[in-house]
Amino acid sequence: MSGLFGYLLIGAILLALGIYGALARRNLLGVLIGIELIFNAANINFVALNRYLHPGQSLGQAAAIFVIALAAAEAVVGLALVLTIYRNFRTVLSENLNLLKG
Amino acid sequence: MIEKIVFGLLAFLVVVPAALAVTLKNVFHCALFLVLSLTGVAGLFAMLGADFLFVAQLLVYAGGITVLLLFVVLLSGSPKDWVVRQVNAQWIVGLLISGMFVGLLAAVFKQMPVPAALVPAVPTTAALGLVLIRDWVLPFEAVSLVLLAALVGAVHFSKGRSR
Repeated sequence: MSGLFGYLLIGAILLALGIYGALARRNLLGVLIGIELIFNAANINFVALNRYLHPGQSLGQAAAIFVIALAAAEAVVGLALVLTIYRNFRTVLSENLNLLKG
Repeated sequence: MIEKIVFGLLAFLVVVPAALAVTLKNVFHCALFLVLSLTGVAGLFAMLGADFLFVAQLLVYAGGITVLLLFVVLLSGSPKDWVVRQVNAQWIVGLLISGMFVGLLAAVFKQMPVPAALVPAVPTTAALGLVLIRDWVLPFEAVSLVLLAALVGAVHFSKGRSR
């Protein structure tokens, strides 16, 4: 279990939990937490496949570094948007953001 | 043998707090469990011999992003948001879709070729630096531009109305 299959399975479970969080949460911050979990699932897959299928190279780890940097950028912009939304609408629940609904 | 025990403990440390982080009502508790799960992911990186990523995960994710998340949880939302129902009307569909993902991906992973015996892990920080500076220097600079744009955008979004 602790071979490549175990790591990939942990990545898949983390991806599924992140998708569930992003799809089902009402709270915008809960959605952001789900998206962070999805990024981490991708990182586990990158590093595990690099270690088991291409040992001696480090391209997979470099890709994981790019994912971490872009996740930081995403989190900063997303949290600033949540803060602005709360300031304007006084809510962080996604179904109350229906300004464009006819 | 000891590797299997450590892997099992780390898998528990990753999956259970992640499940709690997407199901608990209180978003502050969710963010704290997210810290725990990300720390477990850092442990998995260490087991895979990715020493630089281990440190980067702890510094950037468990240290930086989650502190930012906790700040925003405290700044936005009122305590009454922490007791209302946390899932929307389509949560069953979401649960089915994510369960389907696990099943399909596990079926695909079963058919992957079994890798050869592992070579001992060596420190990869120097090789990683060479890759970033020599082979992938253009994406590296592009990511730094993206980070700068994200910083400026975040300041612009959150500075409020000028009066």
